[in-house]
Amino acid sequence: MKNKKKGSVSGQRRRLKGDSIQAIIMLAPMMLGFIIFTYVPILYILRYSLYQSNGFRETWNGLDNFVRVFSRDPAFWKSIVNAFILSFGKLAVEIPLALLLAVLLNKGLKATGLFRVALFLPAIISTAITGLIFSLMFASFNGIINGMLQSIGWIDKPVSWFSHKGTAMLVLGIASVWNNFGINMIFFLMALQSVPVELYECASIDGITPLKKFFYITLPMIGPTFQAVLLMAIVGSLKMSDLILASTNGQPAGQTEVVMTYVFKYFFGYDGRTVEVGYASAMALVTGVILAGVSAVYMKCSNKIGHSID
Amino acid sequence: MSDVKRKQFISSAMIYLVLTVILIIAIFPVLYTILGSFKGNMELLTEGNRLFPRKFVLDNYIQAWNLADFEKYTVNSIVMSGSIVLGTIVTSTIAGYVFERGDFPGKNLLFGLVVSSMFVSLGSLTLYPTFVIAKFFGINKSLWGVVIIRVFGLNVTNLFITRSYIRSISREIDESAKVDGCSFFGIYWRIIFPLLKPLIATIAILEFRHSWNDYLMPMVFTLSNPDRMPLIVGIMNLKGSGEAASSWNLMLAGSSIALIPMIVVYLIFNRYFIEGLTAGSVKG
Repeated sequence: MKNKKKGSVSGQRRRLKGDSIQAIIMLAPMMLGFIIFTYVPILYILRYSLYQSNGFRETWNGLDNFVRVFSRDPAFWKSIVNAFILSFGKLAVEIPLALLLAVLLNKGLKATGLFRVALFLPAIISTAITGLIFSLMFASFNGIINGMLQSIGWIDKPVSWFSHKGTAMLVLGIASVWNNFGINMIFFLMALQSVPVELYECASIDGITPLKKFFYITLPMIGPTFQAVLLMAIVGSLKMSDLILASTNGQPAGQTEVVMTYVFKYFFGYDGRTVEVGYASAMALVTGVILAGVSAVYMKCSNKIGHSID
Repeated sequence: MSDVKRKQFISSAMIYLVLTVILIIAIFPVLYTILGSFKGNMELLTEGNRLFPRKFVLDNYIQAWNLADFEKYTVNSIVMSGSIVLGTIVTSTIAGYVFERGDFPGKNLLFGLVVSSMFVSLGSLTLYPTFVIAKFFGINKSLWGVVIIRVFGLNVTNLFITRSYIRSISREIDESAKVDGCSFFGIYWRIIFPLLKPLIATIAILEFRHSWNDYLMPMVFTLSNPDRMPLIVGIMNLKGSGEAASSWNLMLAGSSIALIPMIVVYLIFNRYFIEGLTAGSVKG
């Protein structure tokens, strides 16, 4: 291959073949890894959703697992509802907050770089550590939040944040917003920076108020980014797991369990549950279909809205 | 004129005010953790409402490092993250290069397979089967299993950013190298790889953040073997150990040990962090 004649057809063909073989050899380890660690697990879940298995022994179970998911396991559906409540609740704060910060950072004031670096800091912190830090801060006894609220006189005695569903979900929401607003802020900031300045200049000449400027120029211009960011945020939030495992772990009494942690515990027999691989696979499959459904509905709706603006 | 100026001044003052308030809220939990780790255990257990310690003590760190295995955890974290970062740099750039410049039968089919995997959104639910597969290959009892899965498991985000970066490199460079008798691999190794420096920095940072912060997968792989736990898993293990109430000092010191390297790396390379995270997600 080395001493081939330049331009000779057969030489080039041989050369091409040699290059192809090299390409295949170079890619093979990654392709093998990808198939083994991405596709095989999916096939595994498909297969085991039809079996009953404790990880060692397995018996054919037909569609029984699915019957159980749909008719005999209200806790699963509660965990799905919780995931939705938590996701949409926290995104209702997170997305406007991220957008507001992006707009403010885009004003070109001094020290913007400093603010951007500092505001993005929470986004680099481990989700598990975030869960831990917030559970310490909101601890009922000697937590700093209770301490501060008592000092300024907003509460008389310590609130036990993690023993009621409502307050526990509130803390989870705050922790998740804290951990995630930075990344969305940066997405919005990038989109804002690509909006041509001339548009705003024309608008200023016409004497449009800043609020109108935002709704009539900024928002439509960053529309596509906004759509994509929102979809990623929704799907990402519905898949929340580390934060819950590291803070409430589903307490009190499984009321803050979200779907990912619920199914996870069935797979691994974590937290005192028995291992039920087959049933967990069936739930995983149902969850995957629900998540795909959410994305599909979202894309359909957001396209419609997009078209109606056009 | 001065009226306009005053208005501008007020509006920028307002913006600074809003930004500063949110900034304080944003860094408060980090400050709380790091400052709290210097408080004495008595202070932690009795006085909850102070951010700054009355007296700075290093006991928590000494105790965590010597008695609570954090020395081991830190070494494990460094080895795991370092191996993943180095390995991923090689595998992602090769995969990106082959998919962009390579030519072999079935390439498009494979690429389609990779892309379609993005639409299956099971998150941590594939962890159990992944673990079973690792068991099959005998790599389920240490962090090397995690390293192998992360390095060879082809990160789609990395693949996309590498592929589009290599696409922006002129093909003429390859062609002239080819004429000079450089092989396909030679072109990657001598020409493309050295041109990828900024991209490699981005991938390294992304992977470092991910592997250093990862919790569930390393936890599953070290559940039966606490000696192999990385920092994050070790800290959570402490929390779940039942002595959680009395080990606040260790949890805070441990969290700080996990946080500080990350923050330092972030402050030095923050440009790459921000670029990498956005580039990856928008294109992925």
